[in-house]
Amino acid sequence: MSTIATLPAIAADPTEPATRTAVSVIGADKIFTLGRGKKLQALAEVDLEIAEGEFVAIIGPSGCGKSTVLRLAAGLDEPTNGRVEIFGAEPRQLARQHRLGVAFQEHALLPWASVRSNIALPFKVAGRPVDDARVDGLIDLVGLTGFEKARPKQLSGGMRQRVSIARALALSPDLLLLDEPFGALDAVTRRRMNAELARIWGEEKITTILVTHDVDEALILADRVIVMTGRPGHVRTVKTVDFPRPRDAEITRSSEFHALVDELTCLLDASDGAAA
Amino acid sequence: MNTAPRTSVKVAYAIAGGALLIVLTQLIGTFELAGRAWPPLADVLSYVLTPTGAGLLVRNSLVTFTSAAQGFALGSAVAVLGAALALVVPMFRPGLDRFAAILHAVPTIALAPLLITTVGREDAPAVIAALSVGFVMFVTMASGFANTGSAQHDLFTVFGSNRARRLVRLELPRAVPAFFDGLALGAPAAVLGATIGEWFGAPMGLGLVIVSAMQNYQMSLLWAAALAATAMSLLAYLIFVQLQRIAMRRFT
Amino acid sequence: MSRLRSAGVNLVHLWPVAFLLICWDVWVLVNGYTSTVAPRPWFVIQDVLAGFADYVPSISYTLGMALGGLIGGTLIGFVGAILVWWSAALSGIVTPTALIIRSVPITALIPIIARIVGYGDPAVLASTTLICFFPAFVFTLSGLAAIPEAGRDLFSVLGANKAQVLGRLGVLYALPNLMVSVRITAPSAVLAAMLAEFLMGTNGLGALFSESRSYMDMERAWGTAVVATVVSVLVFVGAQVAERRVDARLT
Repeated sequence: MSTIATLPAIAADPTEPATRTAVSVIGADKIFTLGRGKKLQALAEVDLEIAEGEFVAIIGPSGCGKSTVLRLAAGLDEPTNGRVEIFGAEPRQLARQHRLGVAFQEHALLPWASVRSNIALPFKVAGRPVDDARVDGLIDLVGLTGFEKARPKQLSGGMRQRVSIARALALSPDLLLLDEPFGALDAVTRRRMNAELARIWGEEKITTILVTHDVDEALILADRVIVMTGRPGHVRTVKTVDFPRPRDAEITRSSEFHALVDELTCLLDASDGAAA
Repeated sequence: MNTAPRTSVKVAYAIAGGALLIVLTQLIGTFELAGRAWPPLADVLSYVLTPTGAGLLVRNSLVTFTSAAQGFALGSAVAVLGAALALVVPMFRPGLDRFAAILHAVPTIALAPLLITTVGREDAPAVIAALSVGFVMFVTMASGFANTGSAQHDLFTVFGSNRARRLVRLELPRAVPAFFDGLALGAPAAVLGATIGEWFGAPMGLGLVIVSAMQNYQMSLLWAAALAATAMSLLAYLIFVQLQRIAMRRFT
Repeated sequence: MSRLRSAGVNLVHLWPVAFLLICWDVWVLVNGYTSTVAPRPWFVIQDVLAGFADYVPSISYTLGMALGGLIGGTLIGFVGAILVWWSAALSGIVTPTALIIRSVPITALIPIIARIVGYGDPAVLASTTLICFFPAFVFTLSGLAAIPEAGRDLFSVLGANKAQVLGRLGVLYALPNLMVSVRITAPSAVLAAMLAEFLMGTNGLGALFSESRSYMDMERAWGTAVVATVVSVLVFVGAQVAERRVDARLT
């Protein structure tokens, strides 16, 4: 644990104004060409601003383009119109400088590598010496001590996702992108992972974008929730979530929490109806 | 990320590849980079177009094709029956699985003496083709039958289905893709088997032409016969792959 | 004890082989063949066991040629596929061509190689190498093409360059595919070696086979066939074991 505490805290510098922009998406359209002249508009005029140190969740029905927003931020796709800037630069620039962390629904762990070397992978790709203390700290942080030598197929689904999150955190990235990281898990494991991610985020305070279709998950974790609706995807509502952290069972059982869940669920349902 | 190239691009690449192969073959021949045994492709083609060359190739190709086709039909039929038998009688199963692995590895040339004594020189090509196809078919079918997921198996048991009905309703349809896989893999095996059979003293056939052209240093004929055998093998393969695609659309 | 029992079960599962031997014997007896036409299996086995020393040089030659071609052809195919993978255009052009050349029957390939390279060891080795090269090439390329999208995205986000994607992801995803190619081509390598030896009559099991046939030594000829089958099965089983090991380690 101590190794984590001594790492430079990224968003904790008090001299920096809290409003420094980490991610800005300005009027982004995304049109996919499907061949035979057919086109699919995945995003229409999406505007987003995320401050440094903020945790933002994007929720929406499947096919609403929420993952596309994440892919734009990761530099995996480029907007057809508009632009995406991360800390004032192109997203690919950030990837090239190894300042991005990412976890997908498919954990994308290397099946032949141990837990330890999967978490150490970002160091190797960046051509940096592996910081053993950091890797050990992360293994401890995600509660996998004793499993360092295990290979992905020997782990449960929840454990694999923890490895994938630890890997995303390895280089203390400036921006963490999570695309339905718990989407394939059962409800109980999912809540436990939510609580763990909240704790980890509380320690590292990395600017984070989480894509999910789970309203509870978004409310447990995020400072702001962005509701997207589909065909073409656009931002419908932005909700600030100001429940105090840590958001334990007491808060998730409160009527305010439930009211917000209901409100957002209604928005999603309405958008589903509109899309159908 | 960049997605897979589109079909038109793929086709263009394939055509470019084919053209490149033809040009290279021609150039290596023209400049004798591989010695006199590698004639320019144009020489081979002009030989094919002479009446003698064309007649010789067509006659022998037909013989090889007939042996290969007979062997193909016989081999696949017997192999499918054998694999189905192994499925219906579970006691046979582990033994036959192991036997399939052995059959798969048998070098076809080792069967030649057996066949020449039993079926004679003239029929040996068809029988060797049948055996080659049969091995491939048996191995693919055995794995196709083995592929039936246990959940569906359980479902049929719960419904009180008997073994015969389960075979007809579940295991046979499930093995259809494997059957077409076997056909696609077996088609080139049939051509290879037939030509191997012809090496052992058959009166006619592409395999015989290839060996005698080699021994008599008739390079244009050797290459033409090799090209004919390749074309036959490739065409058979492509036709069955196409059939297999259609079958896959229907059964999966 | 359990090991002994599993060995016993394994032996029992070889019943089709025993069945085949009995059929062979009955067939010879029923037709009343003399040993110059078709020898009985027991005499063939006896010839193999008693004269095993005579078989050894041929076995080691054929095995060496087959394994040399298998390993060499597979490695060249693997490296070639990686080089070609570097350029989308190049792999697009080369892959269909490799598929065409892959379907050249061995019987058409060997005589041409024999004429180009000349009768002898290089021709045998060139045949087995070529037979193993094209499948290895095609399988490696398809393995490289099948790197999961998520893995590719991950490396892209981590800021990996193409060499890192290849070294840390591609090569390891292609290896199981390469092992499939080894398993598939292993018996073909033995067959190719034997056909080449048979055709050129220089050395190895193929030559021993054609020689004993021309001297009407049928027990030796059939013995060669049996030995060749055993060699081929062993190479195949070896390749299968290697494939399983690689698979267990990499997936």
